[in-house]
Amino acid sequence: MSYCVNCGVELDASLKSCPLCHTPVINPRESEKARPDFPYPQERGQVEVVKRKDLGILISVVLSATALSCGLLNLFVFTGTGWSLLIIGICILLFVFAFPAVIYTKLPIYLSLLFDGVAIGIYLYLIALLTPSRRWFWELAMPIVLLVTLLIEIFTFLLRKLPISIISTALYIFAEAAVLCIGIELFVDRFTGNPLQLSWSAVVLTACGIIVVALVTILSKRRLRDAVQRRLHF
Amino acid sequence: MPKNKRPERKTWYKLDLSAIVYPTLQRRDFSSVYRLSVVLTEQIRPEILQQAVDIALKRFPTYKAAIRKGLFWRYLEPNNRPGPFVQPDISNPCMPMPFKANNRYLIRIYYHECRIALEAHHSLGDGTGGMCVLQTITAVYLRLLGHSVSNGGFVLDVEGEPDPEELEDAYMRYANAQVRPPRPSEKAYRVRGTKEPFYTLNIIDGIMSVKEVMAVASEYNATITEYLNAVLLYALMQKQEKEWHYKLRPLKIAMPVNLRRFFPSKTLRNFITMIYPSIDPRLGDYTFDEIVVHVHNYMRYYINEKFLRGDITTNAATQQNPFIRIVPLFIKDFTVRFFYTKVQDKNSSAGLTNMGALKVSKDMEPHIRRFDIYMGQPFSSRTNCAISSFGDTLTINFASSIVEADVERYFFSKLVQDGIHVKIESNRKA
Repeated sequence: MSYCVNCGVELDASLKSCPLCHTPVINPRESEKARPDFPYPQERGQVEVVKRKDLGILISVVLSATALSCGLLNLFVFTGTGWSLLIIGICILLFVFAFPAVIYTKLPIYLSLLFDGVAIGIYLYLIALLTPSRRWFWELAMPIVLLVTLLIEIFTFLLRKLPISIISTALYIFAEAAVLCIGIELFVDRFTGNPLQLSWSAVVLTACGIIVVALVTILSKRRLRDAVQRRLHF
Repeated sequence: MPKNKRPERKTWYKLDLSAIVYPTLQRRDFSSVYRLSVVLTEQIRPEILQQAVDIALKRFPTYKAAIRKGLFWRYLEPNNRPGPFVQPDISNPCMPMPFKANNRYLIRIYYHECRIALEAHHSLGDGTGGMCVLQTITAVYLRLLGHSVSNGGFVLDVEGEPDPEELEDAYMRYANAQVRPPRPSEKAYRVRGTKEPFYTLNIIDGIMSVKEVMAVASEYNATITEYLNAVLLYALMQKQEKEWHYKLRPLKIAMPVNLRRFFPSKTLRNFITMIYPSIDPRLGDYTFDEIVVHVHNYMRYYINEKFLRGDITTNAATQQNPFIRIVPLFIKDFTVRFFYTKVQDKNSSAGLTNMGALKVSKDMEPHIRRFDIYMGQPFSSRTNCAISSFGDTLTINFASSIVEADVERYFFSKLVQDGIHVKIESNRKA
């Protein structure tokens, strides 16, 4: 029978140190070998994983069947245009979107967002195949998709790594909206051959800039933060 | 001419008022699961225990059930899949309980040496209901071993049909006050700590003598529950003072009250409401004696049929509101989860439940050494404390999913300072 010298509680004979304060049990009269078995089971339980295999199979079968049948119809029956590419593209898109949720849940979120971006890019490329010129894809669609994917990745990173509040989330959204608008305008300028110049996005930038400064001020001053919380509570 | 027999209607059960909340809080790493266990005097024989479970569970249709989603609400449905199967106990009890796993059962039964443990999802019922299931299983088990054990108390007659009152949502019967008192909602202090990896539940059990605790409590002119509540508040107060804080917050304990004491009902489902004994260190420093007096007065003031009826009515009003009823389940889920994480969860610093003195029939008594109750994993980082007593053994079981055991240390140190002999058992391998 040992007592913790720090807490004064009697300790179960199986304990090597006090679970409350981690003071080791040193009892010269009791040999280490005489320590009885731990009264708790040793094996760790595993939470049973709910298999979404059925849903995964269902989604894969439905999507691949749709894509395949449309592809075959396009090849042999309703030939002429490559209309089936649109449907095949949508099927790929849906599959990629469903993949991290249903089929492989351990995929890191950044990777699955990247795949989503790639899938959207592929879909736009398939549309581009049906249009006479593919310039718009390379010069407009592709850069915008890249920019949006990058911004979403950054947004996710901020949400996951920094403390979340409504104000900070709003801050990220406005800052990213400004970057996105500037990006879109520059890409459009380049595509249409106009000189690279900010016009409408400058308005967005100014508005977002003011909001961002205001939000940063609120975030840095506790008094303001409390006041905002009080007045805007719902 | 014989009439065409209509096909029998499929039975199902609405979730009771508090059971509605628990499934919405379900996360990959969190379920509202509690554990009750009994330590017998002899080694458990799993094959007999399995038979006992099979026999006893027929008597508890709401426990042999699966949870399903409707368009507006979830509901329970009798579950006739094989199981639940008894299994060797594990070191991390109260694991999350995905609804579709374990053959859709929402209970688990474990055995370890002399212990039988029942884990149940809170949406099936509260501790009292669970205790009926556990004790009935234990009684059947002992009978199968050849002992004679009589019914009564928590042990129900397994031959009999379930009484409809056992399956009722008793809240609805008593939610009839004329006024709805507002819910308390002030952010309470919350224990900060290092989260344990998925999925670990740290347990520290304190075992002591009921007589000793009773004697100390009566020195303070308090009951055991009031005294232990005060000790927990005192421990939380010390914890808050010693760690870095921007400002002090009130300390609140969420304590479930068994409503069956005030509103007669045989229900085996949830029939509890929360009260929040609290102190506010912003008003000044409390001595322990002051805390005991405060808790004592609080309990006397709030725990009575009138206040509790008001509380039930407030809780029921939300569910009875026709506009809320027609909102689809996923929106309800979202709102409830939001409300719970933003308001309800921040409303208390720790949980404490007292099942009181557990009684068993005379012929069952010699086979039982003690009972343990665990409130299960807390939703956020804090500790939960569950108290029960059997004979002269009082067990205080702390369960937490954080590494630090400061609250437990302050708690038991105070008991030791007051001259109570405390024996500690733990699954922590410090």
